[in-house]
Amino acid sequence: MGMNKSAEQVFRKKIERRHQLAKLPFEKKIEIVVELQRIAAKIRPDKCRRVWPL
Amino acid sequence: MEKALIAIEEMTRLGIIKSYAIGGGIAATYYIEPVLTYDLDVFFIPVKEGLDELAPIYEFARNRGYPEEAEAILIEEFPVQFLPAYNDLVREAVEEAVTVKYRDVQVRIVKAEYLTAIALQTGRAKDKERAIRLLESKAVDREVLSRILERYDLIDKLTKLEEGNGDE
Repeated sequence: MGMNKSAEQVFRKKIERRHQLAKLPFEKKIEIVVELQRIAAKIRPDKCRRVWPL
Repeated sequence: MEKALIAIEEMTRLGIIKSYAIGGGIAATYYIEPVLTYDLDVFFIPVKEGLDELAPIYEFARNRGYPEEAEAILIEEFPVQFLPAYNDLVREAVEEAVTVKYRDVQVRIVKAEYLTAIALQTGRAKDKERAIRLLESKAVDREVLSRILERYDLIDKLTKLEEGNGDE
């Protein structure tokens, strides 16, 4: 299915954003992973999924 | 995380394992945007191939007081999942891993091309998603990937994924 220009632009921007995040230093990315774990734990606490101690 | 990485390096030095490389979500995170994951997946080549390749690791963990939690070992409170190199592709991925730095610790990480190949071979929904992300990134050398996929008969899996027909 075709896409209009606005949708194409949104998807292109999303890919660009992912590429920018990919360029972050490894240490910073791990901090983001832990932040994602914290957010997920607040939404749905799960004893089996522990937030990493950094 | 550094303490866990140091302990894993130490296991190699002590001959508990022959070699290792970080795979899974954390290896992917090295190359692409951060992804939510809960385990540090460590592929390893055992010193002795056999029935219980994890036994020396668990013995090391017990001696150090690292508890087990589900399929992981809590090394310095950090969940690490050890996976023996279960086929030739994973073994080669461990052997060809790159050494990178996390803070002041040197760690071995599976190369992006091997991560993609393993994701294609494993083929779960999350693996396909990971393969797509890696392919979109600039981390994967397509020629290197093609050579790996040819050797392990995985070209067809890539073709299907790229045609948007990854569900088998």
